[in-house]
Amino acid sequence: MLIVNDGRRGMAEGRDPSIGGPTDAGAERSGGSRGAEPDYRFTLANERTFLAWIRTALALVAGAVAVLHLVPLKWDSGVRLAVGFALTGLAIVITVYAPLRWLRVQKAMRRDQALPMSALPVITAVGVALVCAVVLLGNYWS
Amino acid sequence: MSGSAEDGSGGAAERPRGRRARGSGADGLQAERTLLAWQRTLIVLVAVALLYLRDPLLPGGAQTGGEPLHRLFPVLGVLAALGVLIVHLRRRWRITEHGLHDDTTGRPPAPVARPWALVLMSAAACLLAVAAAASALPA
Repeated sequence: MLIVNDGRRGMAEGRDPSIGGPTDAGAERSGGSRGAEPDYRFTLANERTFLAWIRTALALVAGAVAVLHLVPLKWDSGVRLAVGFALTGLAIVITVYAPLRWLRVQKAMRRDQALPMSALPVITAVGVALVCAVVLLGNYWS
Repeated sequence: MSGSAEDGSGGAAERPRGRRARGSGADGLQAERTLLAWQRTLIVLVAVALLYLRDPLLPGGAQTGGEPLHRLFPVLGVLAALGVLIVHLRRRWRITEHGLHDDTTGRPPAPVARPWALVLMSAAACLLAVAAAASALPA
C-alpha cells in the first residue's frame, strides 16, 4: 500500500522515483508540507471539527469536576472516583488526539487522499456509555 | 450545516473550487463561522475553569479537592493560554480584514488560527482535565 502510493506520487510529479524516495521520506518528517494546499473551506471545516472535539473534551471535564468536586453525592467513593477518572481520562485522550487528527486530515487533503478513519468516535461513545452504566450503578448501590 | 452552505455556492457556479474568493461575502462567512466556533470554545473553557475554581454547592457535601489556592494555579495557566489565544485571534482577524483575505495567498485565512494555537488550545483543555483528576486523588 505504501509502495503503491509512493510510486503514484512520483509519477504524478513526473520525477524519477529513485530520486523522489528520500525526499518523500524527508517530507513525511517535516510535517507534511508536501502537496497542494486544499480549498480553504476544507481547511476551515477541519479547524471547526477540531474545535468541536475540544468542546466535547471540555464538557467531559465539566462533568468530571461536578462529580469529583461539586455535587454532593451519596455514592461509594470508589464509584465516584471511577466516574470522575473515566471522564477525565476520556477528555485527556480527546485533547491529545484532536490536534494529531487535525494534522493527519490536513496532510491527507493536501495529497488529495482519502481521509483517514479514526477510532475516536467509537472510543468516546463506548466510554460515555460505560460512564452512564456506572452512574446508574452508583445511584442504586450503597 | 456545511452541506447547505456548499449547496448555496454550488448553485451559482458549477465548480465552487474554481471561483475567485476575494471580496465575496459568502466566502468570508466560512472564516467567520470558524471564528465563532473559536469563541464558543473559549467561552466553554472559561466556564469549565470557573466551575473548577468554585466551592462545593453544599458545605461538607462533596470533597473539596485540595486547597483553593492550589486549584488557582492550573486556572491561572489556563487563563494565560486564553489571553494568548484571544490576542492571536484578534490580531489575525484584523490583519486578514475580518477573515476576507490573507496577504500572502489572497484567499481567506485558513486555518483562522495558526497550528500552534490549536496545540495550545488542546493543551489548556488537557491541563484542566489533569488538574481536575489530580486534585481529587485521595491524599
